[in-house]
Amino acid sequence: MKKTIFTALAAIALTFTTFNASAQKLVSSTTHFKFFSSTPAENIEANNYKTVSTLEPATGEIVFSVPMQSFEFEKALMQEHFNSKKFLDTKTNPKAKLTGKIADLSKVNFTKDGSYPVDVDGELTINGVTNPVKEKATIIVKNGKVALTSKLNVTLDDYKIAFKSGKPSTNIAKTVEVTVEANY
Amino acid sequence: MTTKKKIFKIVLIVIGTGIIIAGGVGYYMFNKPARDVQNTETDFNYQASEIVNEYLMDSQKANDKYLDEAGNSKVLEITGTVAKISTDFNSQTVILLKDEGDKAGVSCTFTPETNANAENIKIGDLVTIKGVIRSGATFDEDLDMYENVIIEKSDIVASN
Repeated sequence: MKKTIFTALAAIALTFTTFNASAQKLVSSTTHFKFFSSTPAENIEANNYKTVSTLEPATGEIVFSVPMQSFEFEKALMQEHFNSKKFLDTKTNPKAKLTGKIADLSKVNFTKDGSYPVDVDGELTINGVTNPVKEKATIIVKNGKVALTSKLNVTLDDYKIAFKSGKPSTNIAKTVEVTVEANY
Repeated sequence: MTTKKKIFKIVLIVIGTGIIIAGGVGYYMFNKPARDVQNTETDFNYQASEIVNEYLMDSQKANDKYLDEAGNSKVLEITGTVAKISTDFNSQTVILLKDEGDKAGVSCTFTPETNANAENIKIGDLVTIKGVIRSGATFDEDLDMYENVIIEKSDIVASN
C-alpha cells in the first residue's frame, strides 16, 4: 500500500518536473548563422557562432540576437566591406534581431522526440530597418533537447543595404541566403 | 634623338613598374588574410566587471570607443573568473569570464589554433584572455536577459 502511494507520488512529481521543464524558457548560445551570397562573379560565405537565442515552448515565442561583427569571412576585405557604413554599418547597429512566434505551435510536442516543421511569423531588424517576415523553420526534439533550424532569404534592398557601384555591387547577390541552427 | 629615346625608355620603365606595383598592391588587398588578433597590440586591459559595467552604464558611448567601422574593433585583455566552459558549432572553445555578483560576463571564443591552450582551464580559475571585441553587454528586452560582452579570436595570456 505504502509502496503504491509512494509510486503514485513519484509519478506525479515526475510529471510536474517534465511539465516545468517544457514550460520554461529555453536559452541557446550554441548557434550558427551562415550568410551565403551567390553571383556569377563569386560565392561569398560568412559564419557567425555568437548569436544568442531564446525559445518559449509555452507560447512559441522565438528571439535571436545576432552580433553583426561576429560574421567571419574568408577574405578580410569582404569582412571590412560587410561592416562598413555603406553596407551593414555594424558600428552603429552592432546587432541584428529576429523576434517571432511559431504560428502553428500545436504541431510541436516538446516532450516527444521528432522533427516538427513550423511557420514563424515575426519581425527582422537588420541595419536598423525592421520588416515583417514569414519563415519556415524546423523544431527538432531529441532526448529532451530542443534544436531549431531554418533557412531564410534576405533581400538586401529591404534593409537599405546596397552598394551603388564598384566591385561589391556586382559581386554580392541582391538576395542572400541565411542558414540558422540553434541548440537549446 | 638618342637622348629622346633614352628618356622615352625610362618613362616606359617607370610607368611599367608603377603598374606592376599597383597591381600587386591591389591583388594583395583583395586577398588580404583575416586580421591576426593575437599579434595585434592590445588596446585596453580590464577586469571582466569593468568592461561589463562600462557597457551597462552607456552602451552607445562604449560602442563608439571600442567598435570599428570596418569591423577591426579594439583588442582587449580581460581578466576574470571562469564561470562556464563550452564548445560552439565550429568546435571552438568558449570561456565565459564572469565575476561574482555581475549581471553579465565576457564570452570569449577561441580558434582552432588556440583551443588547445584552453584545455587545462577549469571553472573558478582566474585567467587573462586576449581577443577582439565584437559587441558589448546589454539588457535585451526581447530576450528578457542580459547579454555578455563578446570577444573572439581569443587566446590565454595568463592563468594561475
